[in-house]
Amino acid sequence: MALEHAVLEDLRRVVGREHVIEASNDLRIFERDASIEGAAPDAVVLPATTAEVSAVIKIASKNRIPVVPRGAGTGLSGGAVTIHGGIALQVTRMRKILEIDPVAQTALVEPGVVNQELSLVAASHRLFYAPDPSSQKACTIGGNAAENSGGPHCLYYGVTTNHVLGMEVVLADGSVQWVAGDAPDRIGLDLCGVLVGSEGTLCAITKIKVRLLSTPPSVATLLAAFSSIDAASQAVSAVIGRGIVPAALEMMDKVTVGAVEAHYHAGYPTDAGAVLLVEVDGIPESTRELMAAVRNVLAENQGYAMREAQSPSERDLLWAGRKGAIGALGRIKPNYYLHDGVVPRSRLPQILSAVGEIGVHYRLPVANVFHAGDGNLHPNILFDLRDRDVLPQVESAGEEMLRAVVELGGALSGEHGIGLEKNAFMPWVFSADDLDAMRRVKDALDAHGIMNPGKIFPDPQRKAPHLAGRTGLAIEAKWW
Amino acid sequence: MVVTRVTTEKPATAEELAKRLREAADAGSAVFPVGGGRAVEMGDPPARDGIEMRMGSLDRVIEHSQADMVVSVEAGISLEALQAELGKTGQFLPLDPFNSPGHTIGGLLATGWTGPLRQRYGSPRDFLIGIRVALPDGHLASAGGRVVKNVSGYDLMKLHYGALGTLGVIVAASFKVFPKPLHDATVQSRHTAMDEAWAAADRVLGMPMAPAAVELFSDGRVLARFLGSPEATKRMVADLGWTKAEALGWKKHSTAAPPKWARIAAPRHRLRSILDRLGRDERWWASPGIGVANWEVAGGAEDVQAVRAAATAAGGSLVLMAGPSEFRHDAGAWGTPPATLHLMRRLRSAFDPNQVINPGRFVV
Repeated sequence: MALEHAVLEDLRRVVGREHVIEASNDLRIFERDASIEGAAPDAVVLPATTAEVSAVIKIASKNRIPVVPRGAGTGLSGGAVTIHGGIALQVTRMRKILEIDPVAQTALVEPGVVNQELSLVAASHRLFYAPDPSSQKACTIGGNAAENSGGPHCLYYGVTTNHVLGMEVVLADGSVQWVAGDAPDRIGLDLCGVLVGSEGTLCAITKIKVRLLSTPPSVATLLAAFSSIDAASQAVSAVIGRGIVPAALEMMDKVTVGAVEAHYHAGYPTDAGAVLLVEVDGIPESTRELMAAVRNVLAENQGYAMREAQSPSERDLLWAGRKGAIGALGRIKPNYYLHDGVVPRSRLPQILSAVGEIGVHYRLPVANVFHAGDGNLHPNILFDLRDRDVLPQVESAGEEMLRAVVELGGALSGEHGIGLEKNAFMPWVFSADDLDAMRRVKDALDAHGIMNPGKIFPDPQRKAPHLAGRTGLAIEAKWW
Repeated sequence: MVVTRVTTEKPATAEELAKRLREAADAGSAVFPVGGGRAVEMGDPPARDGIEMRMGSLDRVIEHSQADMVVSVEAGISLEALQAELGKTGQFLPLDPFNSPGHTIGGLLATGWTGPLRQRYGSPRDFLIGIRVALPDGHLASAGGRVVKNVSGYDLMKLHYGALGTLGVIVAASFKVFPKPLHDATVQSRHTAMDEAWAAADRVLGMPMAPAAVELFSDGRVLARFLGSPEATKRMVADLGWTKAEALGWKKHSTAAPPKWARIAAPRHRLRSILDRLGRDERWWASPGIGVANWEVAGGAEDVQAVRAAATAAGGSLVLMAGPSEFRHDAGAWGTPPATLHLMRRLRSAFDPNQVINPGRFVV
């Protein structure tokens, strides 16, 4: 549904004629993020300043038009998809690093700043920004904050919410607010804490103050092979059980390793059932000691063909294989559906065998590449969109995998968000009262529901996926 | 006791607590949850009388999975009882609050009290992964989960942490727990000039292997703790050249609880500018790497307000942690409310519209 002419004119007056896109051919570019489902916005608006964001949201509020903030569109749960139409608020013109304070070890950035760019700039002060999603070459800090993104190094360093000190946000009524800031133990409720990860459903983010960390003087990166996923999973639990929390502890299965090795020639052992990529950092003494301890534990747990990166370029190559794994899987099938779920770490062998069985049942190849230390799995269902009727099969397989995650006491998402992809599944984990508590927060801050409607909460206007009706509530049964 | 003319109740279950909350709300009564009673003087004096709700019966460890390094507990369990349970498997919750022992988990979460180990591990804000609360309308609501990484729905853990129960009474919580460190070393240095003491604190905070805790005292002492691999820890201790100290000193430090006491928080590089305003005979201790100091208030409300003004000017805050209710009334526990108070009030209204829980105590 196209916006009224008067509304479009109001928007053009705010951001300039060239920064409002409304031609239907152009809008198609903005109908999706990196997930499957899409819907075109009625207009794309590209503000350059906080004042412009505020003015745009005021117009939307007055006319009850949905607003969906959008960064690089790399999200994997449909967070940036305008499923109810309305305005896609594209923040990529707001891409300045406003300040890096090497004394306070903080950075103030606009939401469109690319994740990796921040770390590259911070590196000149021997500082880095810890959350490192695999899409870090493209994804924005604003998107990261909205989704509470993770990454391999979050095992030790924590996810985005642990690194956001404060934010400037624009609420649903267009008001501009600063939430939190540099000081700890601030007075009142932690608004910043609930806005991070709220997936654009409570506010648009216009500035982010993040914590930077000192670059560790020494890093050691090890690749180890295992005969099976089970053996590798046991080794993961053993490492952490020994009191060692590595900076990163990643697993790749045989399918992934084969594709990665063919693409990157990083020396990954293609005969292995699974490989672990383990990284420790710190001062040279601690990396030496920790890596020796890690090697011992891995060897005790049937690890073999252990290879430690001997140079920064070798380390980069090992990581290129991990972070580029999804792309490399294109050698097997042109399309993939990347899922995200978390299980208690000890349940990794069970969930991975369940995932394997589901893939076999649907005759779809599945590749696993994930944050094993956190129990955060990423099954990749590989397919070819040109195959007839394959998409419903892919969706059903993914849904069954998530169901298995929940039945093992896990969570629907570790770092991709709920968005559009999983909102129908929320009742698998949360009771009506649980969801009502979240709904109260939404209603308190966005009374008319204009901010990113149709996300996080089950949406009665959309057809429920066929598994959503299955009974049993994991949170009640397994937690309390 | 803070609240006068109260009746005391001790619900046996979370369901019973929720039911009593609703009944209290219907009757227009107030409810004051009390865990270990270690932080009952935090905040402003209550606005009205009510029921003191003792949480002590909700003291179970619901589940501790050693392999997953996750624990779920009822909120009335004491920190010490939880540590004893975790200690059986070489794990611990990295929380060492002042005015110990005797804090309950629910009390610590509601008040946001922390200790020196926050330097390395962060606060419970960083390792609280699931929560269950009783609401004044009689419902029980959970958020988060029992996994260490989770973005399913709103992070209501953050909203309840430090909210003094004003959005609901915490009845259970899940935490990511940590392995006991491979090696634990504590060192100290003493200085007569505060300039030197601050310089020593800066030096230890800048060591290539970050210390797990650094405390600076108004008498010129600096206490530092290194946790990690043995060789690395030993090198840090050797490089510093400070006197070795007993790890038990930290336990003794955690009992600190002056009768009148304020927490000063500021961006860490500006903390000194506030403490420098205190007279040479004032007693305080600080975590300079975090930006938090604890000040034993010897004077009256005017002194508190003067120091609070300095803290506010530095971008920080001053909160009263303990003191007689008249003193807290005069000095004000929280100071000027934040600019987002209207938003916080909307959230409070969404959960506790009649201000049943802790009326008058919190800033919201």
